[in-house]
Amino acid sequence: MTLVEAHDIVLYRGSHLAVSASSFTIPHGKITAVIGPNGSGKTTLLQSMAGILTPSAGRLTVLGQAVKDVKQDISFVMQSVVFPTGTPITVKDVVCMGRYAQRGWFGIFRPQDRAAINYAMETMNITDLKHRHLEELSGGQRQRVYVAQGIAQGHEILVLDEPMTGLDLKSMRIIDDVIHAEVEEHGHSVILTTHDLDEAAAADHVILMDGKVIASGTPEEVLTRQNLEKAYGLGTLHEPADVNGTTVVELPECTSEGDANVAEEQSVGYGERFRRYEAY
Amino acid sequence: MELYNWMVEPFQTGFQIRALLGGLLAAVMSSFVGVWLVLRGMSFFGDAFVHGVVPGIAAAVLFEFSPFLGAALAALVMVSLLELIHRTTSLKEDSAIGLLFVGMMALGVVLISRSDSFQGSLTAILFGDALGVSWADVQMQLLFVIGVGLMSLMLYRPLMSLSFSPDKSQALGMRPQLTHWLLLLMIAAAVIGSFQAVGTLLVLGLLIGPAAAAALITRTVPRMILTSLILGMISVTVGLIFSYHLGTAAGASMALVAILGFFLILTIRETVAAIVRRKRSTTLVEQGAS
Repeated sequence: MTLVEAHDIVLYRGSHLAVSASSFTIPHGKITAVIGPNGSGKTTLLQSMAGILTPSAGRLTVLGQAVKDVKQDISFVMQSVVFPTGTPITVKDVVCMGRYAQRGWFGIFRPQDRAAINYAMETMNITDLKHRHLEELSGGQRQRVYVAQGIAQGHEILVLDEPMTGLDLKSMRIIDDVIHAEVEEHGHSVILTTHDLDEAAAADHVILMDGKVIASGTPEEVLTRQNLEKAYGLGTLHEPADVNGTTVVELPECTSEGDANVAEEQSVGYGERFRRYEAY
Repeated sequence: MELYNWMVEPFQTGFQIRALLGGLLAAVMSSFVGVWLVLRGMSFFGDAFVHGVVPGIAAAVLFEFSPFLGAALAALVMVSLLELIHRTTSLKEDSAIGLLFVGMMALGVVLISRSDSFQGSLTAILFGDALGVSWADVQMQLLFVIGVGLMSLMLYRPLMSLSFSPDKSQALGMRPQLTHWLLLLMIAAAVIGSFQAVGTLLVLGLLIGPAAAAALITRTVPRMILTSLILGMISVTVGLIFSYHLGTAAGASMALVAILGFFLILTIRETVAAIVRRKRSTTLVEQGAS
């Protein structure tokens, strides 16, 4: 079954063209990774699928309907770097906000709302943080709070914007478990953006972007040398043997210290890092 | 007993009681709106907005129509021009606000300079005339308070999600664009409903001062609103008491107390935090030594 179907969609951010005419499909009940360099339109594409941005051209359907008609079934999880400074808002308040999608402006919270909130906080292991302020949390803890907000919302589709970026090992593992549980236990679909090629290789479906969708398909179909060179434009790429048996491409050639850090980050995914730590 | 007399003496006569009521109603309205202004980082916008209504009120004085209508029209013009600049240029919002801040204020002064009693009219618009508040003004203010209070309650979830993140608000179906416009309407109502008592310039003291002070000492938004309401009402009462005994301008005294309240709370908070830090550090050092 098809989860998302896009025909020649064009996305603008204000007056800036973020994604030019792109067509792709995303399968239901799977993990889909959206990858591409910075500024390639990953977040913009994600936001269009979450109903935050409307395509200025083309047709985008989710679960066979217009996005605005299925918005309640989509939980959008923000990046942990984005948070309101100076706002007196506790972890519990943030998770409760997820239920606004179900209750609207005026609906009174019912026992099932409170149950959903408690379940989400327990799942993300943040119950003991519920009275803490967002500002008092680490990036990893904050990301877990945002995922809990998404879980509390109740959804068919969980959409996460760079959920693993800059996280500590504990938070990374908890979120990774939740992502897999969403698909394997609850039959939901997960769409996430990432800079980590290992993470993308471990997904069921991959979308590669560079100002538009360059390729869409299984990791084996998308993560090819030709596609990655086209997207990242870094010149020579080589293909080492991968721990998962899938094709993963490292990006060894760097032109500056900054690139070196990015390449190192991208070439060692969280799956590999887990295995390294578990081996100790 | 002497202190009690000193505190109640300024509220013995009818016009003094009306000044107090007008100020308290302004404080309530300002707190409901000011909290969201502070949370959304819109204090500069609020500043421009209170200056922006000046030409409307000036035109009302000059051409003898309702100052409430004049202020509402000026607010509409200001917001429309802001939106026009935002949509048609790549200028950042603060530049647009700065342009209109000065432009609208200058237009107001130009208009009022055509009035026969230029000095008196301008002073009344900018700094209010708390002691000139009539019962009709109080009744009108009461309607504004009810309207702003109801809107604040109804918009709690959309405003909360908008303050958290406009994108998240959109994803949750909270209609952030509509919420933003309704917040502008609330600001306009608070300014229009308060300018008689505290003046267009000084109403910002009641909008921002108590809300910012409340943000320093509260951990949730509902408590911030409640604390801001209490601090706003204290500012008005204390301001009027000082105004009476020291012979200072009523509106300015109320606004000044609201701002001084912020710095007082900030000082107390930082002092307490420093003492707690020192005690904890000492305890940790002692534990380490033993």
